[in-house]
Amino acid sequence: MRFLMTTKGGGPAPDEAMHIEMGKFVEEMTKAGVLLATGGLDPAGTRFTSSGGDLTITDGPFTEAREAIVSFALIEVRSKEEAIELSRRFWQIVGDGVGDMQQVFGPE
Amino acid sequence: MTSWDAHAAVDGVWKLESARIVAGLVRMTGDVGLAEEFAQDALLAALERWPESGVPDNPGAWLMAIAKRRAIDHLRRAERLDRKHEQLAHELTTQPDESLDLAPDGDEVGDDVLRLMFISCHPALTTEARLALTLRLVGGLRTEEIARAFLVSETAVAQRIVRAKRTLAARRIPFEVPEGRERAARLSSVLEVIYLVFNEGYAATAGEDLIRPGLCLEALRLGRVLAQLMPGEAEVLGLVALMELQASRAEARTGPEGEPIPLHEQNRGRWDRLLIRRGMTALLQARTAGGPLGPYVLQAAIAVCHAQAATAAGTDWAQIAALYDALFRVLPTPVVQLNRAVAVAMADGPEAGLALADPLLAEPAMRNYHLLPGVRGDLLARLGRSTEARAEFERAAELAQNTPERAILLKRAAACGGRDDAVTLGHAVAAFLDRADLDAGTLRAYRHTMNRMLAHLGAGIPLPEVTAERVAELFAAAWGGAADATWNRHRAAVRSFAAWAARDRGWHTADPAARLGRRHEPRGRTPALDPVFVEALLARPGLALRERTLWTMLYESTATAALALSLDIEDVKSIGGTGGTGGIEDIEDIGDHTRGTLWGPRTAGLLPQLIAGRRRGPLFLADRRPAPARTPPSRDLCPETGRRRLSYERAEYLFKQASHGNTLYQLRLTEPAATRRPSPS
Repeated sequence: MRFLMTTKGGGPAPDEAMHIEMGKFVEEMTKAGVLLATGGLDPAGTRFTSSGGDLTITDGPFTEAREAIVSFALIEVRSKEEAIELSRRFWQIVGDGVGDMQQVFGPE
Repeated sequence: MTSWDAHAAVDGVWKLESARIVAGLVRMTGDVGLAEEFAQDALLAALERWPESGVPDNPGAWLMAIAKRRAIDHLRRAERLDRKHEQLAHELTTQPDESLDLAPDGDEVGDDVLRLMFISCHPALTTEARLALTLRLVGGLRTEEIARAFLVSETAVAQRIVRAKRTLAARRIPFEVPEGRERAARLSSVLEVIYLVFNEGYAATAGEDLIRPGLCLEALRLGRVLAQLMPGEAEVLGLVALMELQASRAEARTGPEGEPIPLHEQNRGRWDRLLIRRGMTALLQARTAGGPLGPYVLQAAIAVCHAQAATAAGTDWAQIAALYDALFRVLPTPVVQLNRAVAVAMADGPEAGLALADPLLAEPAMRNYHLLPGVRGDLLARLGRSTEARAEFERAAELAQNTPERAILLKRAAACGGRDDAVTLGHAVAAFLDRADLDAGTLRAYRHTMNRMLAHLGAGIPLPEVTAERVAELFAAAWGGAADATWNRHRAAVRSFAAWAARDRGWHTADPAARLGRRHEPRGRTPALDPVFVEALLARPGLALRERTLWTMLYESTATAALALSLDIEDVKSIGGTGGTGGIEDIEDIGDHTRGTLWGPRTAGLLPQLIAGRRRGPLFLADRRPAPARTPPSRDLCPETGRRRLSYERAEYLFKQASHGNTLYQLRLTEPAATRRPSPS
């Protein structure tokens, strides 16, 4: 089953050591055949609001940086527990912050 | 533990870590069985402690430390401490506990996992054992998970694993990645196991579900891990590419009812672009790695051709056909040939495809492979030969083991439209075997031949399409290697069938036996006995009545020993005996025909003495009663004496003893010198 992990902005800025740690973690997850795709996101996105047939397009940045998703990882694992275990390792490296994990529907 | 089940959390960690732990332990102990035992100990410890303490910061190292400690304890207890173990034990016990958490560097762990893959896929193991052991050791699956995935019992899986470990230990298979010439062969065994796991998931051979995604995912994971561990191997990357590309279509492969959707009808919008991209990347890496094009790289290249086509019509079939030509050169199997036929049919038309597919009918390996009639049905339908197409689809449905697949084949058969008025093979055979004018033995022999024809050609095929070519193919596949007498017997059956259908019924046939040559039967391969010798044997004083009767029967008639021994007294009475001197009541004179088959006049003279007033039960009896624990079925027991039927083995033994090693079969071939067997008239 696949999970999308996302992290939100507003945490402490990553330092050099964390970059290295994270690089190693990503490499290990790729080697283990778990990580399908990952990337960082510009917090200043573009927002679409559709209401009654009207589409409003607003360019960021938005005021609440904590709500913006700044990175994602798409992983393929055998159970939710495996995904949780991997998230735990991820957050051990990142330290403080907020993020979500959601199952991507599809073949289990 | 918080919101999730602690046991599930342990399982999650275990699946991520177990391969590395087991691999490290095999390197330490040199024994797969022991390694797994200690790994299991560590897993149990985690299940015990983590619910209280929470998952440790480095759960993999925690598990490894426990397992290593168990291993050291064991090695001490078993007093198998050689110098190396002693040193290892010393290091482990004198160092502070935290040092146990220091895992060896990543490469070394990786190499251990790679060795583990090679040992669990070792060719000394059966395929089933390789699959189970690999999923268990490298995939970290539990026995019950493997059993569920392969739809077999847990006991069966456990036994396979135990036997595999025993074989590895007994054969002292080293824990290493082999070098030199062995390396290629061993690697292909690893790739084969991974691809078999994938295929079992992707095209489930049995059961209700067409796809078991868990197995596909497991195989993909194994392949991806292997590709990272052996980065320069083109075929490893080719296999990964192939699996990624095939998996990309998983969603589109089945319809709402779970029925399979063929590639050209799939909704390409549902193909997983992420997996396609990963597959293409892996294929590019494989090409960069260089070397000759291997089977996995070629198959992946074919899959890429499909993935690149925006529509089914836009598929570059010429390119695919060329790739199949190349694949057939490195992997000349009937299945590849069949796929090649499909590609060629798409590139050059169904006629060309059929020309490649038809020779496969003579392949014994394809006899029960449902895709052959499936493909032929499809090609025939495209040629407008709908009656033949229908028969092929029906035959494919008979052979398909998977429920949704069978349903779609039957649907396709029905879509071929109604039959014309031609008599089908099934109908003709039923009528042929229903004849009253044939004796039981002849019918039995004919039935054997006819059933083979039905199984091969399908009952639904119209009689005029049972052509000489088809029957010749059937004969080549079924009895090409059989004894000449067997070939001639089946040939006679087909000739009799054809003659009867054309002459007695006036049905239109395609002269099915026209291309079956009669084989010359070499005489004397099994030498008959000298009649003089047999007569002397029978005249031997003190020869037991039972042996004298049985031997005379075989000598005088064409009956086989098995048939003679299966006779009951009731049979003898209903057939009757001629020349009886009393003792048998209800004797009727019967025709020479049966008598010639079963017994001649001299036997008839002996039968009443042998029966000696018994009314029922086996004609030839053993000397003793069977022990209570070995009581045979009642039909083999004499109700009057309690003795059992004489066995073939015993009868053969007695004749060999008396005749200096000759067999009952030779006795049967021997014809009495003076009195020739009465001819049936």
